[in-house]
Amino acid sequence: MKAENDDLLKEFTPEQIAELDGIIERHKGEPGALIPVLEEAQMALGYLPVPVQKRIAGGLNLPLSRVYGVVTFYSFFTMTPRGKHICRICLGTACYVRGGKKIAETLEKELGIKEGETTPDRMFTYESVRCLGACGLAPVVVVNEDVHGRVKAAKIKEMLSEYN
Amino acid sequence: MAKIKIEDLKKIKDKVKAETSLRAGERRVKVTVHMGTCGIASGAREVLDTLISEIEEAGVTDVVATTSGCMGLCSREPEITVEIMEQEPIIYEYMDTNKMRQVFRRHILKGEVQTPFVLAKGAERTK
Amino acid sequence: MKVFRSHLLLCGGTGCHATGSLKVKKALLAELDKRGLSDEIKVVETGCNGFCAMGPIMVVYPDGIVYMLIKPEDIPELVEEHLIKGRPLERLLYKEPVTEEVIPTMQEIPFFAHQELRVLRNRGLIDPEKIDEYIARDGYAGMAKALTEMTPEEIVKTVLDSGLRGRGGAGFPAGLKWQFAARSKGDVKYVLCNADEGDPGAFMDRSVLEADPHAVLEGMVIAARAIGSHYGYIYCRAEYPLAIQRLNIAIDQAKEYGLLGENILDTGFDFDLEVYQGAGAFVCGEETALMTSIEGKRGMPRPRPPFPAISGLWQKPSILNNVETLANIGQIILNGSEWYAGIGTERSKGTKVFALTGDVNNVGLVEVPMGTTLGTIVYDIGGGIPKGKKFKAVQLGGPSGGMLPVQHLNAGVDYETVAELGAIMGSGGMIAMNEDMCPVDMARFFMDFCQDESCGKCTPCREGTKRMLEILTNICEGRGQEGDLDLLEEMADTIKDSALCGLGQTAPNPVLSTIRYFRDEYEAHIKDKRCPAAVCTALFKSPCQHTCPVEMDIPSYIALVQAERFEDAYKILLRTNPFPAVCGRVCDHKCQSKCRRETLDEPIAIKFLKRFITDNASRPGVDAVPVTRKEKIAVIGAGPAGLTAARDLASRGYKVVVFEELPEAGGMLRYGIPAYRLPRNILAGEIDDISALGVEIRCNTRVGRNVSFETVNEEFDYIYLASGAHKSQKMGVEGEDMDGVFGGVEFLRDFNINEDAWLSGEKTLGSRVAVIGGGNSAIDAARCAVRLGADVTILYRRLRQDMPAAEEEIQAAEHEGIKIEYLVAPTNITGENGKVSGITCQRMELGDFDRSGRKRPVAIEGSEFTLSVDAVIAAIGQTPDVSFVPEDSGVSINKWSCFDLADGSKSQTTDAGFFAGGDAVTGPDTVIEAIAAGHQAAQDIDQTIRDKNGEPPYEAPPEEEIDIPLMIEEETEERPQARMPELDALSRKNNLTEVELGFSKEEAIKEAIRCLRCDAEI
Repeated sequence: MKAENDDLLKEFTPEQIAELDGIIERHKGEPGALIPVLEEAQMALGYLPVPVQKRIAGGLNLPLSRVYGVVTFYSFFTMTPRGKHICRICLGTACYVRGGKKIAETLEKELGIKEGETTPDRMFTYESVRCLGACGLAPVVVVNEDVHGRVKAAKIKEMLSEYN
Repeated sequence: MAKIKIEDLKKIKDKVKAETSLRAGERRVKVTVHMGTCGIASGAREVLDTLISEIEEAGVTDVVATTSGCMGLCSREPEITVEIMEQEPIIYEYMDTNKMRQVFRRHILKGEVQTPFVLAKGAERTK
Repeated sequence: MKVFRSHLLLCGGTGCHATGSLKVKKALLAELDKRGLSDEIKVVETGCNGFCAMGPIMVVYPDGIVYMLIKPEDIPELVEEHLIKGRPLERLLYKEPVTEEVIPTMQEIPFFAHQELRVLRNRGLIDPEKIDEYIARDGYAGMAKALTEMTPEEIVKTVLDSGLRGRGGAGFPAGLKWQFAARSKGDVKYVLCNADEGDPGAFMDRSVLEADPHAVLEGMVIAARAIGSHYGYIYCRAEYPLAIQRLNIAIDQAKEYGLLGENILDTGFDFDLEVYQGAGAFVCGEETALMTSIEGKRGMPRPRPPFPAISGLWQKPSILNNVETLANIGQIILNGSEWYAGIGTERSKGTKVFALTGDVNNVGLVEVPMGTTLGTIVYDIGGGIPKGKKFKAVQLGGPSGGMLPVQHLNAGVDYETVAELGAIMGSGGMIAMNEDMCPVDMARFFMDFCQDESCGKCTPCREGTKRMLEILTNICEGRGQEGDLDLLEEMADTIKDSALCGLGQTAPNPVLSTIRYFRDEYEAHIKDKRCPAAVCTALFKSPCQHTCPVEMDIPSYIALVQAERFEDAYKILLRTNPFPAVCGRVCDHKCQSKCRRETLDEPIAIKFLKRFITDNASRPGVDAVPVTRKEKIAVIGAGPAGLTAARDLASRGYKVVVFEELPEAGGMLRYGIPAYRLPRNILAGEIDDISALGVEIRCNTRVGRNVSFETVNEEFDYIYLASGAHKSQKMGVEGEDMDGVFGGVEFLRDFNINEDAWLSGEKTLGSRVAVIGGGNSAIDAARCAVRLGADVTILYRRLRQDMPAAEEEIQAAEHEGIKIEYLVAPTNITGENGKVSGITCQRMELGDFDRSGRKRPVAIEGSEFTLSVDAVIAAIGQTPDVSFVPEDSGVSINKWSCFDLADGSKSQTTDAGFFAGGDAVTGPDTVIEAIAAGHQAAQDIDQTIRDKNGEPPYEAPPEEEIDIPLMIEEETEERPQARMPELDALSRKNNLTEVELGFSKEEAIKEAIRCLRCDAEI
């Protein structure tokens, strides 16, 4: 238990760990509690490395393999820390048809990373998503909460420069 | 509000109808900002904020701002519907804060429909 | 932050740019500076506001005053009056038309007019966060009826009788599902709502949840009552935060009112529910996987049976319905099953909501009766395809569905028809795609999706999708092999039959559907390593070059224009095209239709830049090539196909003789295209270069008349038949043989041979001329007739957007005063003494769609009218005249009077000694296609000879190295294509002076800078 705590303390503050414990406590005993707990934990901590998964497994009395299996199954969960800004390109069909592919290439070039990666300075995490349902604005890039609609490849650089 | 019974459904219906009908003096104009995900992403929230601050600034009490879901024509968002008492509703398209200001000052206050921004008038048929 | 007291919004859209907004902006900035107002007033350039006819437009904020048709000279007064004195400048104010009358009603807007709102009946009308507003629109009345007046059996029967089928995709009757669950034993049952709308391009459910969440709750309570359930879940994807928020508000309000929870509406019935947030896995849209996910596990499907109605969530009887299905329920109960089944088709009742997206003008949410035609949805509701592109197909059913291509625009969309055509209804994502869509790339995209989302539980799906993706990727990247298509089809069948759940079973659908409708494009990728839509980037350097039939190195010559190295640019042109000066004037520039710059503003003016090079660089000299080969080749027809083949063959050392019936070489370039579009000296210059190589051109020599076919056949080893299509099609109406009725090409030929006689009035058409047709020949004929002083009317049976003629040609015709009557077709020609005096026409209306995606004209009975005319020119199409080839020659001729090619060959006829190409094979086509055919024939003839002689293939001599500079604008700013300067309409109307004047050096360089250099690897 001690070693586990040390692992957690490397990445998170005692307050964050307390929050995690609170989340586990609230859902303990509910049927199908695991996914809601993971969702809330990720909100609170930003990502779900193995020490966090161990803590959740212990708290909900589940095998770690079960927790790990669920974390790796759903695209919503991440085990690595993320950048200050999350840049998500929609690669739903409507965006793809309207030139999303070219936008994705440009983003990779501008950020210098591949999809799913974070820039070395932890400024940007670049992800692709399957349809944000804002097809009326295709192609769409979402940076944090800002939806950029009808994005043009030649304007990407300008768009990214707004975030620092 | 306490739990309701079946007969209350009709009462609520009548109450809403009475409350939302437009009357001189109290509620002369109703402005609906259509706010689905598409609308919000293209700036409906800013449009609503502008509308509310314009209402406050002008100090008018007979204009109400309300929100609703998507109108369906996502590619022309943000859209708003302006209903003035005893007139057909006017739907504006591609709104932004500047256009909202213009619609407020010239259509809502002075009655001049801002034709260049209008999508249509009237309402959709439902059967 | 700086605060400005006023903002001036100047429209910078293309339309306003064209009317001079840049000059206005410049004047405005200068004036503000002069008056010291730069710090107080900010000028902002905005996007197009759609009011282009009144441009340049400027809006002054905060006043909201709109000025229109501003000129730079208005600026000082405008600044003085409005910005300094605060008085709007009346004379430039937009005069609003008598407002109310010009505004259309919602029913006059096709997007709304064709819709039938049931599920979406509250859209835009209620505040989704106020339960009272829902109740005021008869909300929860259906639920009240179900709970108080109906037994569970009656509810099930009503839903069953309504014919409502599951809107999630598979279309299983909702009532039947309920019946099974109702009959299941057990006191714990679940009602689940599937709001995990993972299908990319679909947002129907999101929209319903955001706009009308209570409708779903009401449907769930009724379902619960029907099957005897007391608890439910709404499984909603995490990507829809607004929907989840509004759902939770709705649930709280309903609970507060006692419309959810214990003892609903005091009826003693209990039902409660919660929202379960999905964590992002497409497979969780599958019902058993969704239930496993709610149980807190990896969302994998499980085999059925047992069906969820018997053993579902936590092994209890459960029903799962999609959002749209449930949103229908309240209205069905309230209005009855007959009301619901009153619209739709035989087996698909009610309405369907589609999320219409992709390449349509109106993107949005569309609810139409089942059976509405695809054409109505795409063209009437969707408003057609943007930027004048052609419609190619819609994808229906997302990654599980298939395509409905242009030839099925008349199909009524319902479950059965859609399945027959190889797609599925799916949840309602309908993505329109234009001609720039590559079906192979699309199939790869969807397979990538399915492969990525496969949960991995069953082998067919896990391994099969991976393997299919590999094959598709190979095809897209130029590594496709013969047999790939068979393999794909075989694997598709196996996966469909053996995968565990819907995801796997439907994953091959997009592949099968695209192979079904676009096999030719797959084959182009596999055999020719070409992507006809210019999408698969691994197959080419730049889309423009790939799209050009002769693959001209466009990025290179544009870069050389930018670098002012015009001589080098000319050399690049001549590498692939013997007629660059001609093509710089009359090419249909397919390259520009794929130019990537278009996504930013407008394509590069590739054609005009090509002309600029040939106008401004000196022509590289040509030396005669000595004859080094023994075989002699005859070319019949000195048009672009024949001359190109002759040039290539002469360059390879062959003796080539070209036989031409008419007095000069050039074919349609000389005798079809009038001199005001293509000056004679320009054409002659390029033909002279071909003669200079050593090609002999014998004019005034018709094979079969001036020299016998047999003689030519004996004298030459191989013959290339490139005789073009120089015969007009007949209209098939009475009176067509009268004096004064001309075929389009016959008139143009006569005009081009006897220009002087026509222009001097020795030959005449008379004062009123009708031209029938909508192609380039029709426009050419009409513009010639105008130059002869006639009053010209073009009669076309469809609409302007359907005209095959180039848009710029149509516009030029209009500028010259030519009237165009649309939706009109001739029925007979009347005359006196054998000379035409009138033409009787019928008006047309548009009916259903033809295979090209255009609406078919249908005659309106009793709409006949007669125009009195002195001449009629019928330019409705051309056919080849192949009568010079003897019937027993072994060269087969098809029903369109064109030469047939041998199987598998691109130029050889059915007799190995004869090759053919150009319009004589394809029917009337473009100059550049004819040039491409000529290149192909030369290569094939040479190869045939070398094969026969046992020689190795031809190796082209090394080309001069020309280094191509790479200069790219760092800050790309939006700027439309440069306009071609023209002679004004008055000064060109009575002569044959070239109308287009050509770019200046400055214009050309500025235009070349717009190139995005897609070919460059950085």
